[in-house]
Amino acid sequence: MRLIIRDGEDSASLYVANYIVERIKYFAPTPENPFVLGLPTGSSPLGVYRILVDRYKTGEISFENVVTFNMDEYIGIPRDHPQSYHTFMWQSFFSHVNIHPRNVHILDGNAPNLEAECIRYEAQIKAAGGIDLFLAGIGEDGHIAFNEPGSSLASRTRVKTLAYDTVLANSRFFDNDVSQVPKMALTVGVQTVLEAREVVVVVLGARKAPALQHCIEEGVSHMWTLSSLQLHPHPLIVCDEDATLELKVKTVKYFKSIERVALTQGFEQILPTTLRTSTSTALKKPPLPPPTIITLPNGDTSTPPESASESEDSPAIFAPQPVKSRLLRASSPAAEYPLRVSRSASPELDLIPDRMAERIIGGEALRGRLTPTPGTSRTGV
Amino acid sequence: MGSAKQPQPGNGITKLTNCRLLRGDDLVFDDLWISSHTGKILCSQAAFYDGFALPDRTIDLRGRILSPGFIDCQLNGAFGFNFSTMFPNMSQYDTNLCDLNQKLVQTGVTSYLPTVTSQAPELYHAVLPHLGPSGATRDPHSGSESLGAHCEGPFLSPARNGVHNVSSLRSPSTLKGIDDTYGPSNTTGSPPPIKLITLAPELPRILPLLPALRSRSILLSLGHTNATYETASLALISGATMITHLFNAMAPLHHRNPGLLGLLGCSPPGTPRPYFGLIADGIHLHPATIKIAWNAHPSGCILVTDAMHMAGLDDGVYPWTNGASDDHIVKQGAVLRLQGSDTIAGSSSMLIDCVNYFLRWSGATVAQALATVTSTPARMLEVEGVKGTLEEGGDADLVVLEEVKDEDGVVELRVDEVWKFGERVFERGKA
Repeated sequence: MRLIIRDGEDSASLYVANYIVERIKYFAPTPENPFVLGLPTGSSPLGVYRILVDRYKTGEISFENVVTFNMDEYIGIPRDHPQSYHTFMWQSFFSHVNIHPRNVHILDGNAPNLEAECIRYEAQIKAAGGIDLFLAGIGEDGHIAFNEPGSSLASRTRVKTLAYDTVLANSRFFDNDVSQVPKMALTVGVQTVLEAREVVVVVLGARKAPALQHCIEEGVSHMWTLSSLQLHPHPLIVCDEDATLELKVKTVKYFKSIERVALTQGFEQILPTTLRTSTSTALKKPPLPPPTIITLPNGDTSTPPESASESEDSPAIFAPQPVKSRLLRASSPAAEYPLRVSRSASPELDLIPDRMAERIIGGEALRGRLTPTPGTSRTGV
Repeated sequence: MGSAKQPQPGNGITKLTNCRLLRGDDLVFDDLWISSHTGKILCSQAAFYDGFALPDRTIDLRGRILSPGFIDCQLNGAFGFNFSTMFPNMSQYDTNLCDLNQKLVQTGVTSYLPTVTSQAPELYHAVLPHLGPSGATRDPHSGSESLGAHCEGPFLSPARNGVHNVSSLRSPSTLKGIDDTYGPSNTTGSPPPIKLITLAPELPRILPLLPALRSRSILLSLGHTNATYETASLALISGATMITHLFNAMAPLHHRNPGLLGLLGCSPPGTPRPYFGLIADGIHLHPATIKIAWNAHPSGCILVTDAMHMAGLDDGVYPWTNGASDDHIVKQGAVLRLQGSDTIAGSSSMLIDCVNYFLRWSGATVAQALATVTSTPARMLEVEGVKGTLEEGGDADLVVLEEVKDEDGVVELRVDEVWKFGERVFERGKA
């Protein structure tokens, strides 16, 4: 987990926008191999969108080969309703940049079969090669997308009933009339987010401080669904000072020191080169040439020895896999979704070579089979 | 450039960006998507999500104001052509009308009511068929569009005739009398060529005729009248919705007998306060008078030019058909007077000039001033949502305005570009 702390909302948004711009530029997306970006709505990402639009207008970044997937959409309000997330995305981002409408994906809250829509959405994400970077915000109750407290951490795209708190909070957008606020939404699941190759979360303001504290300093819990990020290999949280109000001084100092030290080493978020370039998703292109130059404190520069052929042996996890195979029984509801069966990241238990007996010095005599199988083991000793 | 009938390659969508759109009482930074295929304003969001459409071209308006095209509800003629003119061969009338429409659109007026003053029935019969709504072809290159004729008379008060020839004034007793005056084919049909009639409600037996006219989609305006507040109130109840050039050709406000002006303070129960036309040309009304009217009823305020055919011409003496007589009008600068009198005979201002005068005198914001020539007349003319709007589905009749400061530091608006049915038809500095 990386936690980047900036003084205010603007500088935090700027950091995230710069980070996304750099990621896309380094990735060098093409029509055959686009950069797949997951996008949130809400107040937190507004500043990020604004800066991304400015960057587009100054010609620094193109979204021509960027494919987007949005997190969620209300059920039961017209698509062009002022409060729909289609409208939000159109007004705050899509209308200002050169993104192609065919590359834009938002869940259809008016689909005749909502369940089919969810399955189709997951299939679209898979067909796009998975999400390279999922940008996210966070609710005051720690929810990511519309995965309200109590949402399964193994959840996938589905219909979700909104928490009463969320309905109340959203009523300010609906003439303060709770009865007009949609009570249900379609949302990507926690697992859908965790399967992105990278997750970047913007957390702004004092109101989000308790949520941030739970998600960083406490354990993984379905009551604070963002805490599931602790299971992700490449999460990056960017917050402002106000959002750290509930964190321990020690925690804040720790993450600040990480950033400081990393900067002196000349790098920020460490992502494997294969993730940073477009090679990992398509494997159609040869690896891009620019190697990461690390500036050592003594002024020497060195090129990391890692090459494309070695990267297969790299300890980095390139495509996060579902945790369900490890944490859930096969009969759990999450398994009902059509998932690509994939190898678990953890080794199989019977392949573990480590046995207590082998740690005993001079204990060769004990290396026989210790399991109580009368007649066989005893005679072996 | 092709017309709307010849589909061009691409989707015909233009995105106007970096502009301040007139939305309600505000100017808001936003984009506007328009289609030259349909001639309408698009819902950009629906075009994007449903049509997977990206604009064929994007035009950066560099922060200028984008307003709906102007609507002039009272225009007697311009550029030398007077709508109240008969030709031996009426094809000449059409030629002159087309020429006027081409020139008028360049001033930002994209639709208007060609106005005919009090005339003999023969003239009405001859000219009104040419002046009906002309937008059905949706041809961007036909210039300004008629929304239907405005008949200012002849059912007016002889006591408040202004420059209208008293001998042409009439007092109808039956609906048939009205039909015969204008020509039956001009008062019926859907829509009829006549859109608006200015009349004096105190004429005997006229009030019971109003509901029938109203039911034919003809709008009724009160003007050239000595009506009391009470009579005018009855006219509102009978279907009138407008007052023609407020203050001019009517009794002034008296504190015990407010007359027509009283309707701005209070209209009879169940009827909204009427719209009112103001000739803000710097000649017809004192600036303070304009400010009083605006403050009394801002949402009813409609600027009109009441321009004569001398608008756009040099100073001099011009002939004018006025009922049975052939009069002359003397143009001196912007002032028009009936020859041999001090009576003001309409104006020679363009609507954008009136907007600028109004802006200077009324204390209204730019957005509010523009509403008086766009959304407010559109509401009065019951073409809300089609004209005078930047909302989706409206006709893409647009004006691009630059804010320029004059020597006194006062902001003035200048017409930089005019769009009609989704195509640019005028650009300042380009022929």
